[in-house]
Amino acid sequence: MNSETHRAIIDCLIPPDDFPGAYDAGVCDYLERLLHTDLTDQAVDFCRGIEAIDAEALARFDKPFAKLSPAEQRSMLAAIEAGTVETSWPVPPSRFFEMLVNTTAEGYYSEPQQGGNRGAVSWVMTGFEELSDS
Amino acid sequence: MNSFDAIIIGTGAAGGIVACVLAEAGKHVLLLERGSQLSFADVGRDHLRNQRLAIYGHNAGPELVGNPRVFVDEQDRQRIVKPYELDYHNNAACVGGGTRVYGAQAWRFHPDDFGMATKYGVPEGSSLADWPISYETLEPFYERAEWELGAAGNGESIQHQVPRKRNYPLPPVGPSPQTAALRNAARQLGWVTTPVPLLINTEPYGGRSACIGCKYCVGFACPTDAKSGSQNTVIPRALATGNCELRTSTIAEVIETDARGNVTGVSYFDSAAGGPRRQTARAKIVIVSAGAIESARLLLNSHSPVHPAGLGNENDQVGRNLQGHLYPRAYGISPTKVFDGIGPGVTIATTQFNHDNPGIIGGGMLADDFIKPPIDFWYDSLPPDLPRWGIENKRFMRENYTRVMHVRGPVQDIPNPEGRVTVDATVRDKWGIPVARLSGTTHRATVEAAEFMRERGEEWMRASGCEKVWSTQPGLILSGRQHQAGTCRMGRDPKSSVSDEWGRVHKHDNLFVVDGSLHVTNGGFNPVLTVMALAFRSAEFIARAI
Repeated sequence: MNSETHRAIIDCLIPPDDFPGAYDAGVCDYLERLLHTDLTDQAVDFCRGIEAIDAEALARFDKPFAKLSPAEQRSMLAAIEAGTVETSWPVPPSRFFEMLVNTTAEGYYSEPQQGGNRGAVSWVMTGFEELSDS
Repeated sequence: MNSFDAIIIGTGAAGGIVACVLAEAGKHVLLLERGSQLSFADVGRDHLRNQRLAIYGHNAGPELVGNPRVFVDEQDRQRIVKPYELDYHNNAACVGGGTRVYGAQAWRFHPDDFGMATKYGVPEGSSLADWPISYETLEPFYERAEWELGAAGNGESIQHQVPRKRNYPLPPVGPSPQTAALRNAARQLGWVTTPVPLLINTEPYGGRSACIGCKYCVGFACPTDAKSGSQNTVIPRALATGNCELRTSTIAEVIETDARGNVTGVSYFDSAAGGPRRQTARAKIVIVSAGAIESARLLLNSHSPVHPAGLGNENDQVGRNLQGHLYPRAYGISPTKVFDGIGPGVTIATTQFNHDNPGIIGGGMLADDFIKPPIDFWYDSLPPDLPRWGIENKRFMRENYTRVMHVRGPVQDIPNPEGRVTVDATVRDKWGIPVARLSGTTHRATVEAAEFMRERGEEWMRASGCEKVWSTQPGLILSGRQHQAGTCRMGRDPKSSVSDEWGRVHKHDNLFVVDGSLHVTNGGFNPVLTVMALAFRSAEFIARAI
């Protein structure tokens, strides 16, 4: 699995603004842990799905996903979400995308002990915790 | 010594009370629990694996491996489900049962909840029926549950809906930032409101300290033990008598009967020390308090030549009428912050619509909600037109996590015999015991009532000044889950019920079911206080009978 691709995808799902995006908040670490624990049976499909996103980017734009412009990345992910892909996918595209969206949110918004939400950034952002609590 | 006056199976809301009343009456009691004693640390604070949000697991049992059930969906497709999946209809499996991790809303049922068939007639396809007892009969036992476990509320504010003789022992939980807006809106709409009664120490009570207002209530254990459940009230009392023996990690396999079919004891697997061992304990009386799904499963699994269809099942009634609650939910963005980080978060309810709604059978209560951790909020509370990802989603979380107001509530389930528990013909748990098989749905009248309540929820949000309002409406599904009830209903006619008004299984003098299984109907309220009240009433009867 290309970690640059993965990073680019999750930063589209939860982009950085004045609060960190998914990657800087540790969502990759969260997913890594999840794929080695509760989702071991889906780890292979997960890697294949990430590779399929790169293949889709190459077919559409002749560039890997991470090299696309933000607008190109967003429109491509929206197409995958809708299930309208141009390449042959090893996993159902919209279901894979839903899993990506859900696990990214889980990593970003659940407790830092799970691997993501580093420094409880999302809890400070939402107001669930005051800065002094975390 | 494996012979007792009584064996009680299950330590939840009902089993703990029965154990306490019998042990304090001097009876020699064996209390069996399939789960274990869970400390605060054991339950933990995993935001993705708890009894409220169970994405990959949960925190109060049963263990994920070796405890399957079979679920049959509306298209008649069956699949094996794991304990944390929604279709498993789990409650919990640990000392205290669901009360270890519940939200502890302590509602009494409405007097009309006990006479649903008389009030509304029986809709086609439903098994709506009256209870064999009235609210007045149960009232003293509601009071006992409130005082012996420790309920906080304002008795006067629900006096006009639910007559009571004595106030709550504890003052109600204080208001949250949304409370005044909801109260004022209800007043404009002409609706009654009340603080939500809770089995939570708002002041020190029962030798335990007061709620510290943390953000983790429903789905989690209480850090100060201020939330009152079986595990910190009635079970310690039972054990303190020296008359009650608690055996954890023991799962009941069958209720034993003699050659004439009379109940003699219970066979169970004890996993506590050195792997599972099959044991049999004898008793004068057996009380099944394992929750509506597991209690039915145990009776059905206890078949013999005299009782070929299982105990109490001569008329094919055990396991039928499985019900819980559909939960319509309404949300709105408040112009001001409604989150102050002080739990439990549930503060105000309306009981305006529990009955007498035009064209609707029953109705329900609506209340604000417990504090939701951000990931629970993300899964549960976002508007349907908001993109699920991207900067817009992130901004919504940032701007509105503290501003989304929310009401939800249980809708009175209109039961039907096809919503049911049977035992699966092939799937077995890790001890080799046939597992529960769940099938059917609620009745469409429940969905109609839920739709009506969803509209009231939206109305309440708009009247509270919310700018944007949205809601969710449950469909025609099987209800059950943590409010599971009805599978061994009480009644006078053995053809349409399983037990008498005391929970005594028809045609048996020493076999009782005491838990939510007894509920003929499940009210438009959280049912646990009714489970507790019935348990006190049955336990007193059993104590006199032994």
